[in-house]
Amino acid sequence: MSSKPIDSMPLLRTSTVIPPAHKEMSDPKPKPRRAGRQVELDDVHAFYGATEAVRGVNLDFPANEVTAIIGPSGCGKSTLVRCVNRMHEEIAGARVEGRVLLDGFDVYAAEADPVAVRAAIGMVFQKPNPFPTMSVYENVAAGLKLTGRRGRDLNGRVEKALKGASLWDEVKDRLSKPGAALSGGQQQRLCIARAIAVEPEVILMDEPCSALDPQATLRIEELIDELKDSYTIAIVTHNMQQAARVADRTAFMLSGELVEVAPTEKIFTNPSDKRTEDYVTGRFG
Amino acid sequence: MAVGDTRKTFHTELSQLEEEALTTIDLTVTALDQAVEAVLNRDEELAVMVLNNDDRIDGRYLDVHQGVLSLLARQSPVASDLRLVAAILHTIMHIERIGDLCVNIAKLVPLMGEAPEGSTSILAKIEAAALQARDQVKQAQTAFRERSLELAVDLVHQDDAIDKLNREIFNDALEIGADAEAREWAAMSMLIARYLERIGDHTVDIGEQIAFVISGEFREFTDASRP
Amino acid sequence: MSAASPPIARISSRRRRTDQAARALLGAGTVVAVIPLVLVLYYLLKKGLPAWSIDFFTTDPTGKFFGDPGGIKSALLGTIEIVGLATLIAGPIGIGVAIYLTEYGRDSRFASAVRYFIDVMTGVPSIVFGLFIYITLVVTKVGGSGFAGWKGAIALALLALPIVTRSAEVVLELVPDSLREAALALGAPRWRVIMRVVLPAAAPGILTGVLLAVARAAGETAPLLFTATIVKASTFDLQAPMNSLPAQIFADVGQAQDRLVERAWGAALALVMLILIFTVLSRLLAGRSRLR
Repeated sequence: MSSKPIDSMPLLRTSTVIPPAHKEMSDPKPKPRRAGRQVELDDVHAFYGATEAVRGVNLDFPANEVTAIIGPSGCGKSTLVRCVNRMHEEIAGARVEGRVLLDGFDVYAAEADPVAVRAAIGMVFQKPNPFPTMSVYENVAAGLKLTGRRGRDLNGRVEKALKGASLWDEVKDRLSKPGAALSGGQQQRLCIARAIAVEPEVILMDEPCSALDPQATLRIEELIDELKDSYTIAIVTHNMQQAARVADRTAFMLSGELVEVAPTEKIFTNPSDKRTEDYVTGRFG
Repeated sequence: MAVGDTRKTFHTELSQLEEEALTTIDLTVTALDQAVEAVLNRDEELAVMVLNNDDRIDGRYLDVHQGVLSLLARQSPVASDLRLVAAILHTIMHIERIGDLCVNIAKLVPLMGEAPEGSTSILAKIEAAALQARDQVKQAQTAFRERSLELAVDLVHQDDAIDKLNREIFNDALEIGADAEAREWAAMSMLIARYLERIGDHTVDIGEQIAFVISGEFREFTDASRP
Repeated sequence: MSAASPPIARISSRRRRTDQAARALLGAGTVVAVIPLVLVLYYLLKKGLPAWSIDFFTTDPTGKFFGDPGGIKSALLGTIEIVGLATLIAGPIGIGVAIYLTEYGRDSRFASAVRYFIDVMTGVPSIVFGLFIYITLVVTKVGGSGFAGWKGAIALALLALPIVTRSAEVVLELVPDSLREAALALGAPRWRVIMRVVLPAAAPGILTGVLLAVARAAGETAPLLFTATIVKASTFDLQAPMNSLPAQIFADVGQAQDRLVERAWGAALALVMLILIFTVLSRLLAGRSRLR
C-alpha cells in the first residue's frame, strides 16, 4: 500500500480544484454601512462623432464593491466610465447608445435628468481639480451649493464629508485656506470629500492616483477600501498593481470591447482569455 | 493586437531561473545512479561521493529559492508568470528532497553487510525500482521543459510500478529468514525501497506543479486518503 | 602635461560678436520705439501742467473769446458720465456674448460667425460708429432730442463691445475645462457652473478686459462729435447734449487764443491721467488673478 504522506495543508485533501485558502479563513464580508446601488451597463456604445470608442459593453458594478477597469491606452475605459454618469455627451459630437441601469433605472431614459444623474453618480478625476477660488470648506460645500441642496447643518455635512475622505484631521484648522494650497494627495482627497458631500450612490474614479506620489496613492487606496462600505465604486486605472490591490472585480478592455471580467484574483492568477493573459504579463506590445 | 514582449528582461530572468531549477534534476539523476550503484556493488567510496555532492544540490536550492524571492519582490509576476514562479519554488523543493533521499540511500551502504542468501530477487527489484525512479525523474524534467500535460499526468501511472515493487520488496524482505544479520540487511533494503518509492512520489508532485502551470488549477493527482 | 580640451566646447568668438550685435540692434530699436512715447509724455506734462489749477477742474468752459475761458469741469464730468454709461452697456453685453461663445456655442457655425463679426468690429474706425449712431439715432431724433449724452454712450459702447468680448472670451477659455467638468460631475446645471465656478475664476481677467476697453473708449473723439457734441455747461441730463474731454480738446486746439490752446493741453493731460488710472487699476487686478 502506498504510504504517501499526508500533506501539511488540510485543504489539499480532495482531488477537486483547490479554492484559495485565505478566503475561507478570513472574516466574512462586513455588512455595508450604507447599502449601495448596483450599476449595470447594457450593450453600451459610445461615439466621438463617427468613431466608435466603446463597442457594445455589458458590465456590472456590484453594490458595495470596487470594480476596476484596466486596459492599454485608448481602449475606451475612460470613455466607458464617462458614459455611466452622462459626462460623455457633454463633449461636442459625442453620443451614447445603450442603457445604463442604476438599480434598474435607466439613466439614459428620456425622462432622466442628466443633472440629477450626475448628482447620484459622483466622479473623481485624474488630476485633482479643487475650485481655485474657494477655500477648503467652500470646496466641500460647493457640491451641495451647486446642486441647490444646501439644507441645514452645512458645517456638519462638510465635517462628515472630510472625515469620510480621511482628510478632516489634516485640514480642520485651516478650513478657510484656499483649496489649491494643499498637497496633491490632500487635494485629491478634498475632491473625494467634495464628491461624497452630495451623498451619491456610486463613485466613479478615473485614474485617481496617476498624478500622485506613492504614499498619497496608498492612502487613497486605503480610503477606497473604506468607502466601498457605503458606496459602489468603479475605478479606471492603467496601473495593474493598483487594480490588483484595490478591486474586488477587474474588467479588461481592449479596443473598445470588454474582453474579460472576473474576480481580481482570477484575472491575476489564471485569466481565461489569452488577450487578458498577454496584457497582464506584459507580453503585449 | 500588437505583438512583442514588453517585459523581456523579466521573462528572460524567469526562463533562466526555470532552467537552473530543471538542470538541478541532472544532478539528482547522477546522485541516484551513484547511490544505487553503491548499494548494488557495496561501494563505500561512491557512497561518500553522493554525500559530498549533495551540497551542490542544496546550493542550487538556495539559489533558486533566492531567485524566486527576488523575482517576486522586483517584478510583480501575475497570471501564468506567477504560477510558473510558484511552481519553480515547489519543484526545486521536491528536487532537493530527492537529493536528500539519495543521500539517505547512500548512508545505508556502509551499514549493510554482505547480501544474505535469498537476496538476489530483492537486489534485482531494487535495481528495477531505481531505474523506474530515474525514468520518472527524467520524465518530470522533460514534462516541465515542454509543458506537456500528458507526460505530467502519465507520471501517476508510472509511479504505480514503483509502488508495486516497493510492496514486493517488503514482502520478500519479510521472508528472508531467521538469521539476525540477514534480517538487519532485509530491513535496510526495505528502507531503500521506501526511499525509492518516496522519490517516485516527489516526481508525481512535480507533475502536479506542471499541470498547475499549464491549466491554472491545482489538482492532486492521487490522494493518501484513498486506497 | 598638455592642457586637456574641455568637455564642453567654448563659445566661438563669432557667436559672441553676433550675440553682441543683435543685442545692440534690439536695444537701439527699443530706444527708437520709446522716444516718441517719452516725447509725448514730456510735451503733455510741459504744456498741460501749467493749465492745471483748482479753477481748471471746477469751472465750466465759458465759451468767451475774451476774458476767462473757464475750466474743463463739464468736459470731465461729461466724459465720466458718458463713459460710465457706455461701460454699463458694453460690459454686461460683451461678457454675455463671451459666455455664449465659450460655454454654449463653442463649435457651432453660428458662434464662429459671431466671432468673426466681433473680430471685424474691433477694426472698424470709431468715426464709423459715430456716423452710424448719428444716422440712426441723432438725425431721427430718437428719444426726443438730437444730440444726447446717451447716444454718445451707445456709440462708445459699440466701440468697446468687441474689445470686452474678445478679452473676456480669452480669459474664459483660459479657465481649465477640468473645473467645468468637476462642477458638472457634481450634478450642477450648466448655468450654475458658469455663474459659480467659471465666472468667479475668470473675474479678475474679465474685469481687466472691461477696464482696458473703457480706457480705449474714453479717448475717442469722433463718435462723440456726432452724437453728444460739444456744450459748455455741465449737465447730468444724458438726454441732452453733453461735453466730453476729447470734444473739448478738439474745440480748443484750433483756437487762436493761447489760453484756450493751453486749456486743450491741460485737458489732454487730464484725459491721459484718467486713462492711466484705468490701466493701472487693470494691472493691479490682473496681478491678483489666480489663473496665471
